[in-house]
Amino acid sequence: MTSNAFRSRRPHRVLLAAGVAALAVGLTACAPGSNSAGGAETEEITAEVTPEQVAELGDITLTGWADVAEQGLMEQFIPRFEEEYPNVTVDMQYKSFNDLIATVVNAANSKDAPDVFQGNIGYAVDGALVEAGLVRPLDDVAEVYGWDSDAAAETLAPARWNEDGTRFGSGTLYGMSVITEVQGIYYNKAKLQALGIEVPQSIDELEAALPVAAAAGEQPIMLGNADQYAAMHVYSDIAAAEQDPQDIRDWVFGEEDATFATEGNLAAAERIADWAQQGFFGEGYDGIGNEDAIARFAGGEGVFFVGGSWNGAKLTDAPAPGFGMSALPDGGVGAIASPWHISANSDASPAAIAFLDMLRTPETAQEIVDTGRLPVLLEGVTGDGELESETLAVADATIAAGGQVGYYDWTTTDMFSVMGGALQELMAGRTTAEEFADTVQADWEGTYAG
Amino acid sequence: MTTDVRLSGSERVTPLRPAAPVPPKRRARRDWIGYAYLAPALVFYGVFVVVPILQSIQISFYDYNGLSVASWVGLDNYAAVLSDGRLLEALGHSFVFLLFYSVLPVMLGLLLAGLMSRIRIYGLTAFRALLFLPQILSTVVVAVAWRGIYDIDGPINEFLRAIGLGDLARAWIGDFDSALPSVGLVGTWIEYGLCMVLFLAGIAAIDREMYEAARLDGAGAVREFFSLTVPSLRPQIVVAMILTVTFALRNFDIVWNTTRGGPGTSTTVPSVFVYQFAFQSRDIGLASALAIALTVVTLAVVGVVLLLGRERDSKGGRRARRAS
Repeated sequence: MTSNAFRSRRPHRVLLAAGVAALAVGLTACAPGSNSAGGAETEEITAEVTPEQVAELGDITLTGWADVAEQGLMEQFIPRFEEEYPNVTVDMQYKSFNDLIATVVNAANSKDAPDVFQGNIGYAVDGALVEAGLVRPLDDVAEVYGWDSDAAAETLAPARWNEDGTRFGSGTLYGMSVITEVQGIYYNKAKLQALGIEVPQSIDELEAALPVAAAAGEQPIMLGNADQYAAMHVYSDIAAAEQDPQDIRDWVFGEEDATFATEGNLAAAERIADWAQQGFFGEGYDGIGNEDAIARFAGGEGVFFVGGSWNGAKLTDAPAPGFGMSALPDGGVGAIASPWHISANSDASPAAIAFLDMLRTPETAQEIVDTGRLPVLLEGVTGDGELESETLAVADATIAAGGQVGYYDWTTTDMFSVMGGALQELMAGRTTAEEFADTVQADWEGTYAG
Repeated sequence: MTTDVRLSGSERVTPLRPAAPVPPKRRARRDWIGYAYLAPALVFYGVFVVVPILQSIQISFYDYNGLSVASWVGLDNYAAVLSDGRLLEALGHSFVFLLFYSVLPVMLGLLLAGLMSRIRIYGLTAFRALLFLPQILSTVVVAVAWRGIYDIDGPINEFLRAIGLGDLARAWIGDFDSALPSVGLVGTWIEYGLCMVLFLAGIAAIDREMYEAARLDGAGAVREFFSLTVPSLRPQIVVAMILTVTFALRNFDIVWNTTRGGPGTSTTVPSVFVYQFAFQSRDIGLASALAIALTVVTLAVVGVVLLLGRERDSKGGRRARRAS
């Protein structure tokens, strides 16, 4: 038995050597990724796409990939679109946000790429799509349909890129989003009344209310920071109140010589650390997820919840007096949701253009509100309940104050974890505001310097 | 009983070579049939394991975002991996996890196996199945459950408050000092059942007469455990160590689903960065280089485990030979 096993070892060695040789050849042979599907010619449009033009395509299917958060809107919107363009059938697939950003780039790079799909702002998804030439430039479309001159023209900025997909914020337009998100202060109405606190209209007024709530034995702010991003939003709200929003925007979009160590950012860092040290976020916030925190807040724990408008959906069904939302007119960052793109290889681009056009209309804006989101086109839309109306007012105020500066974590592909982690250290009192700013700025310089 | 394995190569081959050589034709055909039986598994293994590993090695020498044509960068990715201070810290955490994912489960498994083999327990099969349960649960489910257990208002803290130790209560995985051991203990809980079952099987194979002899020589329960059970389980211990060490070093899902490496960077492990490089930064070359480096570290640690296991083995063998 042993002898046979032994003799057959020799051929194995030969095989192994052959394998190593083949590997060495393979390593130097062809570079991976040489079969990219991008780079088709774009037919620019000079006038609006007409239903007749779309009809000329014959009976077609417009395929799409969307964030599952859009499903409610799409279920109202798609039937309306199919009625307008009867020869088009829309086949939309929905993915969770994490699945979408992890797979959409490869899907766009495949032979049967979806005609329309949502990417995500920043280098990892939209930047890769632009660099590989997988999405159609939309400057002609924006001009023809007046996107670049309507009330929400400024919200297009995060979908503008330079040619090689290395800088965004200005340049060629590659995507369009019709949904926005704003930050604000959610408050528990009954508790404010019991504590005799006025609704805070700014970070300063919020700060003044915190010790009052704490003295009454309440947890002033509900925070769940286990996912490392909830505190980043609180921080950016304070930071936006401490300085000209333009300074933040410059840094977010990688303007030369921009620095994170601005007086405003440092003051905001000291402020949030101080709040944390005084226990205004309660105990163990780094061990609670954001979803759990908003559920606790909805259940009556905590007086305030500082966060984005997407948290509102969990608060609308609360029994009266329920919850309100207050704007941060002196700050409060916000940004558009994932932009829609048209595949560079779409064989149905007139239909795809019509799809994007119809998304950016007042009718759709109302549908967006009705399905619990915030449209970029706010004029004429009305909210259903009190909290929805307040949220719309917050969005209006934020956009008017120029507070839609985007998010700090757009700056580099790993800023989310670098800044999220550094902020946890700062709030736990393990680092100073300066050290926090240094860590963040070092990561930024890794992408933008030189 | 295992002495032949330790003989040197030349000693082994000569006496065992068959007297009459097998005709080459027949031997070739027999080999071919053997490979034919193996073929389905080999193809599967090749396509889903070998090829991806080779591709990872190849990609690790390129600057590649998964889309555009990759450009050759030689060892740059490896240089970046070796000079990244965050990765060194993460590797340090992994070695702490070795204690929780490997050493503790093996010790617990030995203890439980020793107890179960000695004490007659009613419903032993049920207990064994229960204790093995963590091993078969999805790690995501386990992580979510433990997040609840470690919660600031979770059962651990409730218990501490109930017995008057409320000062010790904390968000176990949200606290800089307790996060790493807390996540580590989840690994202990998952792995000890596997070790226990391995050791129980090993104990069942130990000759009962040995125990009788030990008892006749006056060995108590403890003496019997350390002088007979543990040494006899050496092969099982080595297997358990190899399995748990690999699990500890490539561990991603438990960390990702409990702390995402936080708070701060206190629970980061290399595989968290592999995920971030590949799926968030789309720097597939760097991710591959880190994955390969991690594989080399894992193989090295496993090698040390094997070496330690074998060294003790030969010492034991020498003693046995001397005794005879």
